[in-house]
Amino acid sequence: MSFSRQRGSAGAVHEDGYSRRAFLRAAACGALGGTWLTLDLAKVARAAHDAQLAHESPGAPTTFLSRIELADVDAIAAQIIPTDATPGAREAGVALFIDRALATFFARMASDFRSQLAAFHVHCQTRYPDAPSFAALGNERQMEFLTQIERTPFFERVRLLTLIGMLAMSKYGGNRDNVGWKLLGFQDQHVFQPPFGYYDRDYPGFAIEVNERS
Amino acid sequence: MTRTYRLSHPVDFAIVGSGAAGGVLARELAQAGFSVVVFEQGPRLTLADFEHDELKYWFTAGITNDVVKNPQMFRDDRVKRGERNLVRPSLCYARTVGGTTVHYTANYWRFHEIDFDERSRLGSIAGTGFADWPLRYAELEPYYTKVEWEIGVSGLAGASPFDPPRSRPYPMPPLPVKSSGVLLERGARKLGLHPFPAPLAINSQPWLGRPACIHCGFCQGFGCEVGAKASTLTTMIPQAEATGRCEVRAESYVVQIVIDKRGRATGVRYFDRDKRERVQKTKAVIVAANGAETPRLLLMSANSMFPQGLANSSGLVGRYLMFNYTARTHAVFEHELNEFKSVQCSRVVHDFYDTDPKRGFYGGGGIDSRIGPQPIIWADRIGDEGPSWGRAYKARLAEFPRTMQVASHGTSLALETNSVELDPELQDAWGMPAMRVTYKDHPDDLANVRFLQARATEIMEAAGALRVTSAPVKPQTSSVHLLGTCRMGDDPAASVVDRYHRSHDIPNLFLCDGSSLVTSGRGQPTLTIQALAFRAAAHIANFARRNEI
Repeated sequence: MSFSRQRGSAGAVHEDGYSRRAFLRAAACGALGGTWLTLDLAKVARAAHDAQLAHESPGAPTTFLSRIELADVDAIAAQIIPTDATPGAREAGVALFIDRALATFFARMASDFRSQLAAFHVHCQTRYPDAPSFAALGNERQMEFLTQIERTPFFERVRLLTLIGMLAMSKYGGNRDNVGWKLLGFQDQHVFQPPFGYYDRDYPGFAIEVNERS
Repeated sequence: MTRTYRLSHPVDFAIVGSGAAGGVLARELAQAGFSVVVFEQGPRLTLADFEHDELKYWFTAGITNDVVKNPQMFRDDRVKRGERNLVRPSLCYARTVGGTTVHYTANYWRFHEIDFDERSRLGSIAGTGFADWPLRYAELEPYYTKVEWEIGVSGLAGASPFDPPRSRPYPMPPLPVKSSGVLLERGARKLGLHPFPAPLAINSQPWLGRPACIHCGFCQGFGCEVGAKASTLTTMIPQAEATGRCEVRAESYVVQIVIDKRGRATGVRYFDRDKRERVQKTKAVIVAANGAETPRLLLMSANSMFPQGLANSSGLVGRYLMFNYTARTHAVFEHELNEFKSVQCSRVVHDFYDTDPKRGFYGGGGIDSRIGPQPIIWADRIGDEGPSWGRAYKARLAEFPRTMQVASHGTSLALETNSVELDPELQDAWGMPAMRVTYKDHPDDLANVRFLQARATEIMEAAGALRVTSAPVKPQTSSVHLLGTCRMGDDPAASVVDRYHRSHDIPNLFLCDGSSLVTSGRGQPTLTIQALAFRAAAHIANFARRNEI
């Protein structure tokens, strides 16, 4: 079954996004899986991080995603802009940014997002029945799965939201400590003076006669 | 000194729209002694309201039309129902006093002579509405000069051998060159081309009471926080009000032009800021609401006398929508350019402006060096040219300071099927019919920008780029250049307004903005729209003085 066909089968989707079956299964796993202590270190780190995310969630009524949804969104965002020698989407706080955004200034896309996320979840479980969620997959299987769905509207939407959460002003909850701007080398200042870069430093002036001659 | 007019007291002119054209018309007619009320859908902002907030200005309504309150449907084929935009409107404009001049990039090159009579020079193009304008460049030249001096344009006259004749140099020298401009110039010169300093409606030095640019880098899509960028909010509008004859009514959304039994406009019906309906009586109406909202207002004003909408006996209101394609090429260099600093563009190449039949398609364009632009949009777009997520993508993001963009701006052929209409179901937050936009590029438009993009790549390679990538040229689904939807012409069966912007059908209804354009030019239409507005104002004032309205 293709992902896009699943998107169409909205009848299986509850108001809160996940199908009831998926919801119950996730709930039975204790959201992040009661067996996480037995998993490898990367999974532990991720699970701990997810728990911290849920903990850090300001608890404000603006929170839109469930903890399971948040963990999946966080895992996708962390694949889009991974953490390596420099901070990535995780350190920028992208998942919580997306959660807040969907509850407030991007509320217009919230219901689409939720049903797409539910379809994503079901699709992921169909493909990897042994994993309770996308977030619980290992790095390689996460990349494999995202590569398959990278052309879907859902992935494109998460990608755009990730970029916004990475690079918008930090007052919106993402781009923590301006890690996104630091990654790009972008500076937000009100006044700059020439020379602006390396190549305009020794510019001799515009030679109008060259254009006139030729 | 602002004047307030009573609703029941007919003013000389009700002008719908306070942007590029509306602002100019308001000042010119008020200074000519007429009473004027300008209606603007959006709020009146001050420079202090403008921020460097990319999320607000590019991904929420910010100062533009809002996909929630002002929804639009888009489709690429008239047989389709279309899709509602959720992120950005298909036809995007600034909804605030000053209109799109508040958030534009302010690239101000003139149209060339061929833009006005290319149809005569090249012949017809089957299946299109390709046509000559009813006026020529020479007739518009004094008004181009007027814009450059009274709005304020920085540039270097005579720098481009392809520029049309001009009667006066620019009032200000060009802005400082950027690294991207130096590199475009270097590459273009190596190839024997003729790059020149970009003309911009941004002060390179203090001019007309406004300061010089401080190079903050937030022009495209943003309001200028110091007023160095010339919006009508900071130029024409206050000057119109200073006459004591012009009232600007912000947050006043005109939804109908009221027509009497004689078929003349007698008023405009609008929602005030509290959504109360009001009618302002007027002796004449000028619609300058942009190429999207002007046809929409005419269509919404349909009545028993004009069931197809006002000024629409030709059936062409809303037809011939043109966009201008902008194709992107990115080049990475060894050292930092820091394109996020200063104005968006500092060098332009017009060597490929004219159509060359040997290329096998209609069209031409301008190529310019560009800012990236701002971080989010740049990061999104760069994914079109390589990896779009993952480690390799992240590494690409870190090249931001060493990357420049070259934009290739092309022609759009007028197609009757490309249009703005009223959607049969979707409504806006005021209960008025939403716009339904149909747009599909002509194959020549796409071939043309692919050609220009290949030239842009050559220029960047000649400039010594480490790597050059181009975004694939795909059909356009949105634009900020809203052109051609109430085209001007001498033949009432083939145009909506005459050469003086008077509608063929209703003698006291004038339309003047991007909708008047007959051809698209090669991008950067605002200077031409303002030149048309200065010219229209001169003629309309004369008609009024002679009692010919």
